[in-house]
Amino acid sequence: MIMQRQPTLLNGCAMAATAAEARFRIDHPEPKARNSRIIALDEHAAAIVRRLGHQQWRGGHFLVFDDAVLAGGGNGLAADATLRASDGSVVLLSDELDGADVVVVIATAQASATAASIIGDACALRRIMSAGLVVTGAAPVDDAVSALRPNAMVLLVLADENDIPPILTALRV
Amino acid sequence: MLQHKINELLTQTGPGTPMGALFRQYWLPALLAEELPENDSSPVRVKLLSERLIAFRDSEGRYGLIDEFCAHRGVSLWFGRNEESGLRCTYHGWKYDVTGQCVEVPSEPDERQSSLCRKIKLKSYPLVKVGDVLWAYLGDPATTPDLPEWEFARVPADQTYTSKRWQECNWLQALEGGIDSSHVSWLHSGGLKSDPLFKGAQGNKYNLADKKPFFEVVEGDGGLFIGARRTAEDGHYYWRITPWVLPNFTMIPPRGDHPIHGHFWVPIDDENCWVFSFDYHAARPLKAEELQAMKDGHGVHNEYVPGTFRPLQNKDNDYLMDREAQRRGDTYSGVKGIAMQDASLQESMGPIVDRTKEKLVSTDSGIIMARQKLLKAVDALRDGGVRPPGVDTEHHKVRSASVVLPADQPFIDSSREALTVRPGMPHASV
Repeated sequence: MIMQRQPTLLNGCAMAATAAEARFRIDHPEPKARNSRIIALDEHAAAIVRRLGHQQWRGGHFLVFDDAVLAGGGNGLAADATLRASDGSVVLLSDELDGADVVVVIATAQASATAASIIGDACALRRIMSAGLVVTGAAPVDDAVSALRPNAMVLLVLADENDIPPILTALRV
Repeated sequence: MLQHKINELLTQTGPGTPMGALFRQYWLPALLAEELPENDSSPVRVKLLSERLIAFRDSEGRYGLIDEFCAHRGVSLWFGRNEESGLRCTYHGWKYDVTGQCVEVPSEPDERQSSLCRKIKLKSYPLVKVGDVLWAYLGDPATTPDLPEWEFARVPADQTYTSKRWQECNWLQALEGGIDSSHVSWLHSGGLKSDPLFKGAQGNKYNLADKKPFFEVVEGDGGLFIGARRTAEDGHYYWRITPWVLPNFTMIPPRGDHPIHGHFWVPIDDENCWVFSFDYHAARPLKAEELQAMKDGHGVHNEYVPGTFRPLQNKDNDYLMDREAQRRGDTYSGVKGIAMQDASLQESMGPIVDRTKEKLVSTDSGIIMARQKLLKAVDALRDGGVRPPGVDTEHHKVRSASVVLPADQPFIDSSREALTVRPGMPHASV
């Protein structure tokens, strides 16, 4: 039996949850930006990602899914993908995910299940936090949501593209 | 993370603040009806949205919610006499009716009474009884909304029960607990096995077996639907769907045939809130043992310091932390009861948590979206006078649900009927 002592000082008990005691909390700096990858899955989403890329961010690569390719050896993936960066260059998904903390996939009704699956598998294999944002429009997005569901830890279905920047900010992109 | 100025905007609800203006668009739970049980019963001090008020029920059964302080010398009317259709200040006998209108100044000559009284009117707000709750509207009388249509307040009296408790932190961090489904498998895991209002449901086994739910957040007319999915049998998912309606209403997904429960998170001031916790069954009266369990503080309810609405477990006694129960696994945190497990942690964050320091992850997306919707509603109201979501009573007609669906089905389409009030029909629950 472990002897339990009763708290002696205010900060030794739950009464320390006051505004006055809050000033003694360790004043750690605001969290740094995450190493983020924002990837559009289709052409409509690519336009959104291009607009996002023109805004001020603390970090993050804004990319567009290009094509599925056979994976090279050694990275554990069955398939890899090429991505288009904002400067027009083409990069490999597997290279982009090295050192990434979070991947946010942006899709509209046109999103392909293959693209979602390749990125989802790659994130799962590397234990990278992932989120899928599906922006609704005139066409139904059920297929896009179904495609992303197994491949992202969280899915948000958004009516307004303008909701994306605050979400990315909250995730420290 | 959130910018400091945004955190202040979302957490400050006093008069003249943008979020305060938003809250003043809605009927808000102010008291339990039992607090004013009969005509001429004792007046009750009420603080809402940082305004100090007094509530009373006059000799004709009319409810009043007026400025707490007498216009004469600033005495609290809580010391007043509630008699003969008005609340009389015991200092010099000034008397007010339920609209705050002064109706007597006995020290003045009779011939001056009416002219003097006409000029003296305390601020007042409408207070109405719907269900077990007295609801207040603190906004512009010209835009008074229709009365609340929340199902828990509209079912027959023997099908519903509401309690309230004081929570010693800002309303927003309390609300955010209500839309954060991912903590249930951890913090409340003990309660799923033992709480009489939770245990025994088929869905509990999915909760306990899969502690890493995936989330889908879908916008609704009144706010959000937050779906948490866990793996079920044979290519199916178990979904727990939590509705949030602006600004401060949440419902917990049901378990089996247990009553369904939820909360209103009502700002008292910026460092305190009332948590109104309700349980109801849409299709049958509450059983005697269910009602007793609620009164005993099980489920989303709590025990009290006698004679108060302060929880028995509170910060003065370290929430009666039981380390042995924690070690045995009876409770995950060592704090007894679902409600106080939440409150103890939310209060430990401080009166207003500094959201510039938080490190949100993708599974916090429901919280992120709720903040965003609140901000948009504040902006639209301030800049264009746009009536915010949740005022329209059609937005009140929501339910939570727990369902098992094939893996390829969107929860929002497959559960649309289950997420809508169908009077007299039981809730969709596993």
